[in-house]
Amino acid sequence: MSHLSMRKLVLGILGLAAFILVWKAVTDAKLVSPIFFPSPERTWAALVKGLAGGPLLAQTVETIQRMLLGWLLASLVGIMLGALIGISRRARVFIAPTLELLRPLPASAMIPIAIAFLGFSDQMVLVVIAFGALWPMLLATIHGFSAMEPRLYEVSAVLGLNRLQVIWKLALPSALPMILASLRLGLTISLILAVVGEMLASREGLGQSILLASRSFRSADLFAGIVILGAIGLVGSRLLSMAERRLLRWQAAAR
Amino acid sequence: MAMTQAILQAGRNEMAGSVLRADEPRIRIRDVTLSYGALQIIGGISIDIAPGESICVIGPSGCGKTTLLRMLAGLARPTSGAVELDGSVLGGPDRSVAIVFQDYGKALLPWRTAAGNVSLALEARGCPAKERPAIIRELLEKIGLGRHADKYPSEMSGGMQQRLQIARCLAQEPKVLLMDEPFGALDAMTRQALQDEVLSLVATTGATMVFVTHDLEEAIYLGDRIVCLQPNPGRVGRMVDVRLARPRDQLVTREDPEFLRLRRELYDLIKDDHQ
Repeated sequence: MSHLSMRKLVLGILGLAAFILVWKAVTDAKLVSPIFFPSPERTWAALVKGLAGGPLLAQTVETIQRMLLGWLLASLVGIMLGALIGISRRARVFIAPTLELLRPLPASAMIPIAIAFLGFSDQMVLVVIAFGALWPMLLATIHGFSAMEPRLYEVSAVLGLNRLQVIWKLALPSALPMILASLRLGLTISLILAVVGEMLASREGLGQSILLASRSFRSADLFAGIVILGAIGLVGSRLLSMAERRLLRWQAAAR
Repeated sequence: MAMTQAILQAGRNEMAGSVLRADEPRIRIRDVTLSYGALQIIGGISIDIAPGESICVIGPSGCGKTTLLRMLAGLARPTSGAVELDGSVLGGPDRSVAIVFQDYGKALLPWRTAAGNVSLALEARGCPAKERPAIIRELLEKIGLGRHADKYPSEMSGGMQQRLQIARCLAQEPKVLLMDEPFGALDAMTRQALQDEVLSLVATTGATMVFVTHDLEEAIYLGDRIVCLQPNPGRVGRMVDVRLARPRDQLVTREDPEFLRLRRELYDLIKDDHQ
């Protein structure tokens, strides 16, 4: 690890420590009732207990599974659909207005529709996650394809690449920076919708767990769930950044 | 339209009926025009180019040099007339016609290394994966990039990137090499080195070359023949034969009285067009 990134890590940990200290000061001074706002120690104890013997571990696994599955589905459909639309100017013109109409719809507005078709089921939650997380990937792929350097289309024509080769060897790699950024965004949306879906449809998972904890005034359990959700988001985003750096080595070379 | 049809038909007939004669031109530009709406860019150009010949195209900006080259590459379609390659009408881009673009930065794939960029041409023509590394190494070696196979374009100088683009074109194994002001953005020393590189490549591969430039000396140095285009609309003003010995040499050739005479002649021609 280089000197600089070590320094960054230390500073980051110091910031986190400061945050926890402020949290502790607020709860120690009893500024907010402990029924609603637990101290860091109590949250930590609930976290350890829940993960070691309690239901928290299973719920975490459940939520992560839901998030990943929905995200993968959204990514696959988004990138494939985006490639099909993006490669043809006619398809873009044909479908763009419809997409513009659907895109601003909040994914949560889709939940009643999904419930009507699929009931309070895991499939319903999955469909809602996939629908909500689809947009960044779909739009980034379409945009990435249409923003491809026109000269490269001419190069592909002169070299005699077929359409599939143009998609696979030219358009996708040139759209990759945008697609990777959208994958990160999509993962965040997937986590949000996984939690919301679990809350609304009473499916096993962290969303349901924190909702129940809140209703029965178990504030420490509620906060333990929130800490885990934060950690899931952080780890997911970090892993994707690492993949991004690796896949976009050629960009780093330019700097 | 009817005329285009007739010409296309004639092209097919020739292709079906004839065995290529030795003196058959590699490229025949037959009374080609090109208009965008009411604006005529090219107004009737006819040139025959023999196999192995090097033609340089010069002319003031806006005279349709690049448009002419794009038609030879199959990237632009003539409004009337036709471009023939080995006796058959060129309907679109053809793998046996390679083109080197001036803007190497846009024509190369930034996410592929030098070797990967050359590989693209091999992948396009269905060269088996096992054979590619050896061909790539040989081509990069030939163009002086042997030690830079793993570099990304962003890590290479302009001259190296343009060499890479030429290597990729050679990987197509083209019969015709088109060059669109390829060295316009390079410094004088690099330009001269690449001119010699291109001359030796053309000599060893036997490729036919059409080289667009606005540098008169470059045109004389590289060409067997120079086509001077005139603008509004683009048409052939003069055709000048270059009778300079080959192989050419940056010092000897450029001091040859014939070189100096040609430079004067072309300079006067271009100057008249500008007035």
